[in-house]
Amino acid sequence: MRNLLISAGLIAALACVAAYLGFRANSDPALHEAVAKGDTMEWLRTDFHLSAEQLAAVRRLHDSYSGTCDEHCRMIQEATQARQALEAAHGDPASIAAANERIQRMRAMCEGAIRVHVQKVAALMAPEDAKRYLALVLPKISKFDHKGAPDLRLNSSS
Amino acid sequence: MNSSRETLSDTLASWRVAPTSDPAFRSHVWERIRKRPDTPWTDYLRAHAAALSLVSVLALGAAAVGGGVIARSRVRADREAIVMTYLVDIDPRVQAAQKP
Repeated sequence: MRNLLISAGLIAALACVAAYLGFRANSDPALHEAVAKGDTMEWLRTDFHLSAEQLAAVRRLHDSYSGTCDEHCRMIQEATQARQALEAAHGDPASIAAANERIQRMRAMCEGAIRVHVQKVAALMAPEDAKRYLALVLPKISKFDHKGAPDLRLNSSS
Repeated sequence: MNSSRETLSDTLASWRVAPTSDPAFRSHVWERIRKRPDTPWTDYLRAHAAALSLVSVLALGAAAVGGGVIARSRVRADREAIVMTYLVDIDPRVQAAQKP
């Protein structure tokens, strides 16, 4: 019995080592650290193998895009407030429908701008990385929850 | 000859055994079993080499695969989370919805 217990203990210990090695071999500490920090640039750098020059170019692209993003954000907010004011004042349905249509147009315009931006970022990457980046990001852009905070349970197949 | 045979038969016929019960009999037996010298572990390994090898290979393989599956699952979850953070950063629609 004692020998059996010693053998079982040894096998269990070796199995723990094997599990740890399997975990280490398949994990991505750099990605995990970027997620922990919420550092999307670090994610782009590590996950898509960006050189310092490529990362600097992506940063410039993001900086220039952030102005467009802020402007679009403001326009959507104004259009949404206008529609809410119409609804609060019990405006005529045609005006509310027009306000809704205006919001939808802006959302579509935003989506187009995001897609262009993402394509520009991809163009700075190596072809294989660019393909992976686009496959990861593009499907989520059109399926993003526009009405509230994003659901982190979304997955790439959704 | 006949006389001695008869004597033996008589003796056996009249022989009565009256064993006294030993209340410590069981405990003595177990004590002797416990005192039996242990098989050395190396001998035990040699005796069960095939079975222990098979169990080891299966256990280590399953553990390594399990560790890998957990790691890949965490990588997927991490990537999903950072992509969402990234999209929040670049999507004015979400930013507009999040601002008061």
